[in-house]
Amino acid sequence: MRIGIPHMGNVWVTVKALLKGLDVECVVPPMSTRRTLSLGVRYSPEGLCLPFKLTLGNLIEAAEMGADVLLMPGGSGICRLGYYGNIQQQILDEMGFKVEVKAIGVSDRKLFGVLALIRSLPNKPSWSAILSSYRFGMAKQNSLDRIEMQVQKVRPVEQTKGTANRIYDKAIKAVDAADDYDALKSAEAEHAVQLNQVPRNGRKPLLVGITGEFYVLLEPFSNLDVEDELGKLGVEVRRTTFISKWTRFSLFLNAMGLNEKQRIHRAAMPYLKRDIGGDGWESVGEKVLHSREYDGIVHLAPFTCMPEIVAQNIMPSTKEKIPVLTLLCDEQMGKPGMLTRLEAFVDLLERRRKIPSSQ
Amino acid sequence: MIRVGVPRALLYYQYYPMWKTFFESLGAEVVVSPTTTQAMVSSGASRVVAETCLPAKVFLGHTLTLADKCDFMFIPVVRSVRKKTYNCSKFLGLPDMCRAVIPESPPILEPEIDVNRGQRDLYLAIYRLGRRFTWNPRKVKQAAQAAWQSHLDYLNLMSSDKLTPPQAIERLTGTSQPSLFGDRLEIPLNPFRVNLQDEPPFTKGDIPHSPVSHSLEKRNGQKKNSEMSGTHKATIAVIGHSYILYDEHISHRIIHRLEQAGAKVLTPDMLMRQELEAAVIKITGRVYWTQEEEVVGAGVHYLESAVDGIIGLTTFGCGPDSLMMDVVRRQATKLKNVPFMSLTLDEHTAEGGLITRLEAFLDMLQRKKRGKSEVCASA
Repeated sequence: MRIGIPHMGNVWVTVKALLKGLDVECVVPPMSTRRTLSLGVRYSPEGLCLPFKLTLGNLIEAAEMGADVLLMPGGSGICRLGYYGNIQQQILDEMGFKVEVKAIGVSDRKLFGVLALIRSLPNKPSWSAILSSYRFGMAKQNSLDRIEMQVQKVRPVEQTKGTANRIYDKAIKAVDAADDYDALKSAEAEHAVQLNQVPRNGRKPLLVGITGEFYVLLEPFSNLDVEDELGKLGVEVRRTTFISKWTRFSLFLNAMGLNEKQRIHRAAMPYLKRDIGGDGWESVGEKVLHSREYDGIVHLAPFTCMPEIVAQNIMPSTKEKIPVLTLLCDEQMGKPGMLTRLEAFVDLLERRRKIPSSQ
Repeated sequence: MIRVGVPRALLYYQYYPMWKTFFESLGAEVVVSPTTTQAMVSSGASRVVAETCLPAKVFLGHTLTLADKCDFMFIPVVRSVRKKTYNCSKFLGLPDMCRAVIPESPPILEPEIDVNRGQRDLYLAIYRLGRRFTWNPRKVKQAAQAAWQSHLDYLNLMSSDKLTPPQAIERLTGTSQPSLFGDRLEIPLNPFRVNLQDEPPFTKGDIPHSPVSHSLEKRNGQKKNSEMSGTHKATIAVIGHSYILYDEHISHRIIHRLEQAGAKVLTPDMLMRQELEAAVIKITGRVYWTQEEEVVGAGVHYLESAVDGIIGLTTFGCGPDSLMMDVVRRQATKLKNVPFMSLTLDEHTAEGGLITRLEAFLDMLQRKKRGKSEVCASA
């Protein structure tokens, strides 16, 4: 059995490590390209969101590389996403691929759903093997996310643009290549040191929070590298959504009844009283929670995303005032248009910082 | 007397008699907004971001017209009416969205209906809603029971007398839905209007499955199919949400137009709930959405019965429909026996373009009937 996965940021490193620990072959499709996107767009229903189209493109490419089981997040109680695996299976069937799309129930049963799915693999891995490889996979994810957070801090202040990105790319490769905890630790430490030594220009960057829909936040291809572009404009980017944090809260602590997201939800309460699926609640909550801390917020959402449209409608009416730039991501989005909007937004934030009375 | 405002949009078409009974039993007056007009759509659309779907914009338009005419706005949050199902985010965020974009709205009554959380929560939500009007818990209970009864009456009336939701609401509550376009187009003001005396009583078991006898003709109280069906050009099923099909402004009176063109029209509400669910389960494994069996269930059901064509009506940006209408389209492509056309409506939909497409579809059906070619259209 060869398992194929769709891309979402650097999560492939984790899944690959997890499956390797279980002696299952993992087919990692090439990182998303224009080909991925056009494949996805070509075979998708037009009204669906970018995450569907891109993941479908990834799955097609994985199937072309010979994967016969494809993993796709799913489960009820979220947004349309819960149904995507089902439709993608139909599309792949019609295209003539002999594959099975397995929906991982990320919302119904949290961690137990994922573990039960792993347990159902044909080579019947033992529970101890599952737990140890899960732990190792998560260790890789934690390392990567720590490095990424550091990269976000270095990008806006580095003297030569692109230095941090180069180190980050190397770090991903090194973490992916690490076979045990020691190698992982040294890989992380080595790149953390390198990032620390990047020559800085000494400016105090603007701080912009990035919030919105999970997938477009984490997959740089889908948001046209918005974090990188903001970094080039000299803006420090902060986002609270990371795979490592999300799995910790969503898969593990939620299942145990400890919900860290409650802080965000409580902040959103006066404006949005209930979970509307997806990440709409969190988008509103983060705006309210961080309005004093950040200079501005970039709100990312796929075009036609139901929860984010509700959030987008609610956000301007909050008492906590902070500039919000909503970027809708879809296959029609062009880089120059996005850059113009980002530049205008950054100009606005800089003005606002110079004239504090306008706050 | 406390006035409760009910916007004539979205869930109105499914639950209005129930809501009316509930509030009136508690001594409140129910104010319903008039039928949708262009001005309402524009005012609703001006408050929200452009990507918001048309039904939500229409809903906000209705809320705006009611804002100064009532003391409370009633916007329930229907998360699920069956276990393990789930609803579109826009339904769940509706009260909060109204509060955010319509600050002039009166306080919003927003009971959350979610059967996943168990009966106790459901009853508690109803009780909390009733407590706004009375301190007597028994009165709330009685009102809720009366409301449930009137909901059942409403459903029975629709399936037994083959009425559309607006007709059944009119019959039960006396709230008529005046037609917007009537005179201008020289279409009978309400072609659905039923002459009560002429209509023989049906029971659920009596309704045959053949589409011929499902026809809207019966609703008109005309003489039955045997002699009439010959004069029909085609039998067409129109599938979509009730708030799209029966809102004459959103749907551009597509049902009336098809009838004018000599087609027999079937709609999802002519099917029983069980039939719809069975069709959904057959095609997708389980019922995932709270509202989608009227699209996918009806679509699949009609694909398998001998209709001549199916038209799927959806609005631009509808999340659940974008998936489920596609399921129907795929099934139609697979079966290759019934032509299927999906029409996407938004506030810019021009009548002319819509009519052209309907005419083309009807022409195609005619050609197919003459046996000259086999065509399976999708759009």
